[in-house]
Amino acid sequence: MSANTLGSQSDKATKERNKNLYLKPAVFYFYFRELIEMLALSRNQKLPQPGEDTQILELLVQRDREFQDLMEVAQQQGKVHQEMQLLEKEVEKRDSDIQQLQKQLKEAEHILATAVYQAKEKLKSIDKARKGSISSEEIIKYAHRISASNAVCAPLNWVPGDPRRPYPTDLEMRSGMLGHMANLPTNGVNGHLPGDALAAGRLPDVLTPHYPWQSSDVPVGMLPPHHGNDFGLEPPGHNKENEDDVEAMSTDSSSSSSDSD
Amino acid sequence: MESEEQARNRFQSELEFVQCLANPNYLNFLAQRGFLRERPFINYLKYLLYWKEPEYAKFLKYPHCLHMLELLQYEHFRKELVNAQCTKFIDEQQLLHWQHYSRKRTRLQQALAEQQQPQQQPPPHGNAAAK
Repeated sequence: MSANTLGSQSDKATKERNKNLYLKPAVFYFYFRELIEMLALSRNQKLPQPGEDTQILELLVQRDREFQDLMEVAQQQGKVHQEMQLLEKEVEKRDSDIQQLQKQLKEAEHILATAVYQAKEKLKSIDKARKGSISSEEIIKYAHRISASNAVCAPLNWVPGDPRRPYPTDLEMRSGMLGHMANLPTNGVNGHLPGDALAAGRLPDVLTPHYPWQSSDVPVGMLPPHHGNDFGLEPPGHNKENEDDVEAMSTDSSSSSSDSD
Repeated sequence: MESEEQARNRFQSELEFVQCLANPNYLNFLAQRGFLRERPFINYLKYLLYWKEPEYAKFLKYPHCLHMLELLQYEHFRKELVNAQCTKFIDEQQLLHWQHYSRKRTRLQQALAEQQQPQQQPPPHGNAAAK
């Protein structure tokens, strides 16, 4: 850009000088005419006036030389100006190329960012799915277990009065591990099993009904999660709570399923 | 640190206990004796939520207990359980649900199949209708 301004400045200077010289052709003509007239006069008059003639002639030649020089400079400047214009065009072209590339880069970056984001989302959902994956066989086995025992759906011949329930009944609760932890006092009402054996709280192990809800088939490695705090309970207190539960259950009149609904 | 046998016993007792929660009468029993107001017990109920994980849930014979366990996390529910009428109502509804389970389910699937039919002009695949 600075080269451009300098060029224009020198152009201006040249123009100025050329302007001054533009006046000169008129002056030249004037002087020339005068000179020719004087030469004619001098020829006619034969008066020696050498000084003026030669002076004017010399001035004329000098001016002409200056003029020629300036013309050459102007020509050169014109060439330089042309070259500059060509270069400017080149620069413009390159600029637009760069802009084009910039646009394309931006687009590409946008597309890639979208793709990466979607890929990450997909990975997240793959992880999630993998975490929750269960073999279909297990699901079917489990579904079979809970349906066959009528835990989820009532048996087709169920009528009110049937002791079966979708939850563990008194009997089942008492005959479980929790029930046996407690010392059961003798109690009155019994929904299901007659006899004092259950009322006494202890059945001989052989006769203990064993329900599948008590998980005799627990694989060895299966353990409950650890809990650091005691929930605010002391260990003996924990068992005591169960004792209370089981002991008092038998006195709960509404728990008996023998009353028909 | 507990021994393996202790851990196994704890597993079994917790398994039994969580399933007992499916019994509304037992819940009433617990409520009336004030267990559901005790902070340690409430914390214990929150701890028992691990039975919802698939690797533990597969041992549950009475899945209704999980629903009860979820409800028990709410104080409002625990408060209401003191009322014997409330638990009787829950018991009745639970039994009705249990009795009509298969009928309700086939009706639900029929409704779903009917919903899908307008969307699919060609005859639906076998697995969509016959689930």
